[in-house]
Amino acid sequence: MSDKDDTETPVVTEATSLLEDGNSEPAKNSESVDQSTKPESKPEPIVSTRKRPEPKPSTDLETSEVLSVQASQAAGKETVSRDEPQTGWGYWGRWGKSLLSSASATVATVGQGISNVIEKAETSLGIPSPSEISTEDQCATGETDANENGNSSTMIGPFGVFSTISTAVQSTGKSVISGGLDALEFIGKKTMDVIAEGDPGFKRTKGLMNRNSTLSQVLREAKEKEEQWTSNEVTMDTDKKTHYGLLFDEFQGLSHLEALEMLSRESEIKVKSILSSLSGEELETLKLELEQLKEAFSLAEFCEEEEEEKKGDEDFTKEITELFSQLHVSSKPEKLARARNTAYEWIRTSLAKPSEEKGGGEKQLEGEKTEQLNKNSVEDIHAFAIRSLAELTACSIELFHKTAALVLHGRKQKVTAIERSRTLSQMTVVLCKELSSLSKEFTTCLTTAGVKEKADILNPLITAVFLEASNSASYIQDAFQLLLPVLEISLIENKTELPEA
Amino acid sequence: MTYAYLFKYIIIGDTGVGKSCLLLQFTDKRFQPVHDLTIGVEFGARMVNIDGKQIKLQIWDTAGQESFRSITRSYYRGAAGALLVYDITRRETFNHLTSWLEDARQHSSSNMVIMLIGNKSDLESRRDVKREEGEAFAREHGLIFMETSAKTACNVEEAFINTAKEIYRKIQQGLFDVHNEANGIKIGPQQCISTSVGSIASQRNSGDVESNSGCC
Repeated sequence: MSDKDDTETPVVTEATSLLEDGNSEPAKNSESVDQSTKPESKPEPIVSTRKRPEPKPSTDLETSEVLSVQASQAAGKETVSRDEPQTGWGYWGRWGKSLLSSASATVATVGQGISNVIEKAETSLGIPSPSEISTEDQCATGETDANENGNSSTMIGPFGVFSTISTAVQSTGKSVISGGLDALEFIGKKTMDVIAEGDPGFKRTKGLMNRNSTLSQVLREAKEKEEQWTSNEVTMDTDKKTHYGLLFDEFQGLSHLEALEMLSRESEIKVKSILSSLSGEELETLKLELEQLKEAFSLAEFCEEEEEEKKGDEDFTKEITELFSQLHVSSKPEKLARARNTAYEWIRTSLAKPSEEKGGGEKQLEGEKTEQLNKNSVEDIHAFAIRSLAELTACSIELFHKTAALVLHGRKQKVTAIERSRTLSQMTVVLCKELSSLSKEFTTCLTTAGVKEKADILNPLITAVFLEASNSASYIQDAFQLLLPVLEISLIENKTELPEA
Repeated sequence: MTYAYLFKYIIIGDTGVGKSCLLLQFTDKRFQPVHDLTIGVEFGARMVNIDGKQIKLQIWDTAGQESFRSITRSYYRGAAGALLVYDITRRETFNHLTSWLEDARQHSSSNMVIMLIGNKSDLESRRDVKREEGEAFAREHGLIFMETSAKTACNVEEAFINTAKEIYRKIQQGLFDVHNEANGIKIGPQQCISTSVGSIASQRNSGDVESNSGCC
């Protein structure tokens, strides 16, 4: 794998040169997507691709931005203004201009070509070696802030991917999300380069992508496209088992996302009309307050405790429940916690035999479970991993949607909109971290169960888990950003109601 | 999984008329007498077969509480069909129909098919709204009408399916622009590619409509 190091630069250059000419046309397409007509008026395979607001997920913080900087800058990202103050959530500041994914409107043109090479890319790519990532990472850190030479701690986990990235990249005093999610992006970029290399028709795709969507997105959409094409041959059962989009939909993730989007859009319109009705000092004050709110949405404090040692199982449930109670909305994250615990239970069972060094609690399970372990093929694990990620993500989106409904519903507020925003922002981080560590667990399972498998069988499965974890995180962050207008209107209404009361 | 069309439905009406129960009966074929209040909106989906075509119904079950009203309105957009539900044992739920109807008409496509449903038909002894009144209201406002029981499942299938039939009919008449998603209709995934391939996959069964006929 290390021989990749040499080839890397030329590949990127090639890719970027391809970008520039493919750039203008798709951008136009996307702009013309009307807000009111949803993007998938074109017959599209799976609805799941549509609901991405600004395609740039907030996982793209400084670190990964730097990773991608060569490509994206060369692409002349006309839509990305670097001048804009980079908050922790990066590009997300401008998500509001269109809630509808412009990417999906153009997905149709992301042709089969890409789907066909994905497999090739995956197999030839393998997983970047730890040294590769850490090199990249160090370089990234250096670029981000030369003074604060990031504390890149290289820990080699299963396949060395997730735990390799520096623990935190400090930049302008803000903590940013780094670590696992960046690694995901990195894998994606890597994959993309390989694809670009092998597919001349890829040109257009790459152009589309750099309009500022993420790799994982493009890959996912392409994959869905592919599944659609094959759906006439593949039986539904096998098809569905590993199809993230379908599963996510089945868990009603899409519906909740769509509903949340509706609430968000409506709130956004209201906020705008209120702002336009104000003037002078009143307007300035409100603007200031809204600005603070926005801050809370960009400051995702991500104090990663040194790739913390495995947390107890209860912690996530406790943490998320506590955060939820701080919101003062009458909904509880039980469903989410249940889904999450089921996933971990399954993993524990699956790993019961090999991980003998693990604590006593699991011992008793071991006897009866060893047999089951043998039954879990890498395909089974992969399928369950994808399913769990889809379910967990759907539950998270549902929570955000319910929160939006309840925030809009509640007249009296015990907590301010800003407090809620901070809590929600923390919650987002917790959820994304959870997804990251869950996918790590799953890949451990995969590597353990797949010791005898060939790399070209195992690697694509592992890559898929990482990619879907990255997608999941993007969905959750999208959903989080959709809450901003909801809290804005809540803030405004609370303000105007107080004096009257 | 593959479907020719996807229709978005909304279920609306006063709180406690049985909206969530209707949905549960339709999607899960079971009845759950005690229910949490719906927050905002819940979802259900099921495949039905109309005219040999697989159609996926995506159902938005809205909160009936008055205090949620302004929120639930946001969800109306892009629905192809609406089930407007009242409780035949509570006249006030019938009296509120006009206001629900106004909401629905105002916030969704003018082509939306609306099915008026008098639910709880199993509670004949406590009936407070005559069947004829429901029929008259429906006629007056151009709605389809049915009395159902989410408890006994009577007419529940029919209510959902007849609505789908009507939407399908409108599509065939060209009244719905299926390419405009604001109408609550989406063309299924296989449509765009399988014109030549034919409907090999589309004929797969799933949740076929069993015609359980007249029980009410």
